[in-house]
Amino acid sequence: MAEITVTINGRQVSAKEGMTILEAALENGIDIPTLCHHQDLTPLGACRICVVEVEGSRTLVGSCHTPITEGMVIHTHSDKVLATRRMIVELLLASHCGSCFMCDKANICELRKIAADLEVGLPRFQMRKNYYPLEDISPYVVRDLTKCIMCRRCARACSEVAGHNVFAIAYRGFDSKVVVDFDQPIDKEVCRDCGVCISFCPTGALGKPREAKEEKRGKPLIITS
Amino acid sequence: MPEKRVVLANCGVIDPEDVASYIERDGFKALKKALKLPGEQVVEEIKASGLRGRGGAGFPCGLKWDLARKAQGDEKYVICNADEGEVGTFKDRYILENDPFSLVEGIAIAGHATGANKAYIYLRAEYHFLLDLLEKAIAQAKKKGFLKHLDIEIRQGAGAYVCGEESALMDSIEGKRGEVRYRPPFPPTKGLWGKPTIINNVETLMNIPRIVLKGAKWFGGMGTERSKGTKVFSVSGDVAKPGVYELVLGSSLKELVEDLALAKKVQAVQVGGATGRIIPGDMLDTPLSFETILGAGAVTVFNESRDMIDIVHRTLEFLAEESCGKCAPCREGTEAMAGILERFSKGEGLEKDITVLGELADTMMLASMCGLGQAAPIPVMDSLQHFRGAYDNRIRQS
Repeated sequence: MAEITVTINGRQVSAKEGMTILEAALENGIDIPTLCHHQDLTPLGACRICVVEVEGSRTLVGSCHTPITEGMVIHTHSDKVLATRRMIVELLLASHCGSCFMCDKANICELRKIAADLEVGLPRFQMRKNYYPLEDISPYVVRDLTKCIMCRRCARACSEVAGHNVFAIAYRGFDSKVVVDFDQPIDKEVCRDCGVCISFCPTGALGKPREAKEEKRGKPLIITS
Repeated sequence: MPEKRVVLANCGVIDPEDVASYIERDGFKALKKALKLPGEQVVEEIKASGLRGRGGAGFPCGLKWDLARKAQGDEKYVICNADEGEVGTFKDRYILENDPFSLVEGIAIAGHATGANKAYIYLRAEYHFLLDLLEKAIAQAKKKGFLKHLDIEIRQGAGAYVCGEESALMDSIEGKRGEVRYRPPFPPTKGLWGKPTIINNVETLMNIPRIVLKGAKWFGGMGTERSKGTKVFSVSGDVAKPGVYELVLGSSLKELVEDLALAKKVQAVQVGGATGRIIPGDMLDTPLSFETILGAGAVTVFNESRDMIDIVHRTLEFLAEESCGKCAPCREGTEAMAGILERFSKGEGLEKDITVLGELADTMMLASMCGLGQAAPIPVMDSLQHFRGAYDNRIRQS
């Protein structure tokens, strides 16, 4: 592979032809936040968190899927880029359920991490939220689509890593969701114990079934007034 | 300027069910001429004509063909985008209904020029009543021996707005969920089933036989510096004579809306469908061209009795529903915008909402994956610019 030269944030760096902007940046110690991207999965470009400014391009470009070309001038952290990333996170948070305190992923949630890094606080506007019933009938995986941000890592991991095709996308726009069969709750008939998708989920939407311990089994505490 | 019928020359003149009536009017002459030339020369002719895509984006047609022609691939495809999903357009329907043969000829020339031997017509689901007519036209052209080098197949859509977008359209033809792909790679290098593909609007392909027959010079003589030829417009809304009109590019909006379609007391005109620019009534002398405003040629007129915020709110509700849901800025952004506009339409807007709308618009325009999300904020921003008073009146007083 031929080496080509690109300019990232004012610094000339060389990288291999065929690399994406994200890979070239990472190799040179520049961190670009990503959400739907995962190194073991094919790029999707859906979350748009990784957008960067490329001189001469009308819009920002997704760095996870855009290959570098000779002489490209890239800005990964310009004001325009940061404002855009912040707004996308704000949008994702505005439609998110927001029950972070009770979430199993609380402090390891990738969405929260990015929000913290970009200093995005409470969303400034109200919007509709998607609430779905919890799917906990499978002994292998619990799905809480209320926490899903549609990064589709689960769907890609299921087909690309696990070699199954349990998940698909259904509906359109804001109502689009990751479905199993014809939008059935996930159960053990369609999905066996592999758990690959769980490790790919950036939020608390996918998890292992939790065994109830003493806190739920013990004698109920009843407070009488 | 009066109407000039170039694309629509045969509409209403020939019998759309009889190829003989088309051949009588110089039909398939352009194809015969093109087949005698090497593909390269045909592409050069189209390039020289300055023809730009009529589907809304205005990409130079010759350049697209050139890229596809030079791309490596054992198989190449031509797709005719007859999805005509843009709100307020019905020009392609009029064309298909009245002159399907010119389209078949255009596709055949495109196939020869780019080296493709398979073509698809992606027909909008709602146009199922045109299926028989189109199939008949293809069969008749085949019988006359015009389609030896190319096989044309019709694929029907399933009613999604976003499938008029080229990459979602290709996904749909492949049998997948109609969803946008990221670019690059662009279709001329890697399109349908990963093969070099050109996608052209019906109207673009209709222009091809005319250019091949009469020459690039003739075509370049019409229009403005960067917008050559004519454009077919679909005029609807508050006009006395709605319908399909063809004008030379560069004509003013006023000629179309007031002189031809006889609109009165115009408050605003939306040019280009749901995601089109909104032009206030006092700016009707704006020329229609790629340099200014054009889109796919949908012209919707609103008179003074209409409420602009209601119109924009309805538009955003539509776009939110029709977003494919793949990329976050469009999926969430259209929904958030529709929500904010709903508050304004109820008179419950907030001062800060206007700032948020601006920021949302910037993000969607810069970061969305396809034209839908990138253009969705245009009506909002245009109405904010020209009808700011309407918004201010709806801010909650408390």
